[in-house]
Amino acid sequence: MAQIEQSDGGKKKKGAQKKMSIHVDFTPMVDMNMLLITFFMLCTTMIKSQTLTISLPSNEKIEQNQMNKAKESEAITLILTTERNADGKIKKDDTGRPMSTVYYYEGMPEITDADGDGRIDNNKLKAEYFVGNDGHIQQGIRKILHDRNKQVLERIDKEKAKWRNKEFAPGNSAANDSIYQARAREIRNDSTLTRPVVIIKATPEASWESLISALDEMQINQISRYQIDNINKTDSVLILDYLAKNPKK
Amino acid sequence: MGKVKMKRKSTLIDMTAMSDVTVLLLTFFMLTSTFLQKEPVTVLTPSSVSEQKVPTANLASVLVSPEGKVFISIAGDADAETKDTWGSEALRKTILNEAVTLYNKQHPSNPVQLTVAQRDAFSKINMFGVPFQVLPQFLSMSQTEQDKFITDMTQKGVGIPINDNKDMERLNEFQIWMRAIYNSGNDNLQKAMKKGEGIAVKADKDTPYSIVHDVLDNLQTLKMNRFSIMTALKTEQD
Repeated sequence: MAQIEQSDGGKKKKGAQKKMSIHVDFTPMVDMNMLLITFFMLCTTMIKSQTLTISLPSNEKIEQNQMNKAKESEAITLILTTERNADGKIKKDDTGRPMSTVYYYEGMPEITDADGDGRIDNNKLKAEYFVGNDGHIQQGIRKILHDRNKQVLERIDKEKAKWRNKEFAPGNSAANDSIYQARAREIRNDSTLTRPVVIIKATPEASWESLISALDEMQINQISRYQIDNINKTDSVLILDYLAKNPKK
Repeated sequence: MGKVKMKRKSTLIDMTAMSDVTVLLLTFFMLTSTFLQKEPVTVLTPSSVSEQKVPTANLASVLVSPEGKVFISIAGDADAETKDTWGSEALRKTILNEAVTLYNKQHPSNPVQLTVAQRDAFSKINMFGVPFQVLPQFLSMSQTEQDKFITDMTQKGVGIPINDNKDMERLNEFQIWMRAIYNSGNDNLQKAMKKGEGIAVKADKDTPYSIVHDVLDNLQTLKMNRFSIMTALKTEQD
């Protein structure tokens, strides 16, 4: 391939010059190309990072009566925290997962101490973790949220099955997608269903990752109403009380 | 009987085909590559299930280092038509002017003066993060010196000051920058920022929430309540 053969017309004469072959060695060329490829491979970002759009409530002081209070029966508050060493490094458990805990309570917090033993009588706070799925079974905080948003999820699952079979617009996958998206949005915002309102709070030492995980759970569980809020004294008291009652092993 | 003639075999391997392949690969990488942006700190973004892509044009991204230092990078229009007015470099210059004017209005006793060369230097920088008072000194440095300066997290003059929020009469330096970016006059950027796509907050996954919260709080004070968070795609199925 890389040689040019000089033929002399087939006639062999005595004393004729030997067949010359000009051979071009491509090895250095390949070497150089490989170097360039390596350079480009190391300098490029093949995967563009993803984004998650969030909107925060306005910072302005709102009159107490203007605040749209979540219905008590619908509200669920998540409080995120991450365990850190003395030097601020995040502690990891045996499997290498960061030790993030999600405390949660439903409805209004209660911090009454009627019997005066220094412990809250009815601490509704419970602890869960971000553990993901085990096959198709939800675990950890996802299970809690999944159960709270069951009606919505059941309906969306039905639509999803139709979307998989391309029933919305046979043969047109873009239309199929958009119809499904619109249906799902409708169900998510359907006020006749019981849907939870999730309030996400994070302690100062909670890792950024845990907050994103919490926002992720909202997406996974198709929860349309959630907000990020600042932690307050009541929440800290609840956590301290919880830790006092359930000391870490 | 004739001798069995041993055919001399050549050990040369034909590299042409190999060369073809490597050139093809090289072309592919050259065409698809977008270069890694230089950033003062490398952060590992948390993973999420969200599949929205980061826009490459009209974006103000805010990088928060684990120590709580804040850096901003500005990308302008990618459109060829508007490139001269609102391309990244022109946009950065406009924003710098706007921000310095705003700053000098608030600190009349200690104004910042920049030369034309310094303004030009600013437009070349992808990601910046120094207080206004350090800006003239920083912009006079050579590029290698700048890189060295800005990646040193222990230095006092690194990171845009972000504390003393709340007081709307006296914006802090981060707020001045964000306000300047918003008021740059580039409608596309402003539109993107209103929609929440124009502002991207990037922080390491191990960063304590209190540090990121500072930035979020500042954005809220500026009424920039919608913004995006940079994440990586979740790899495992969880």
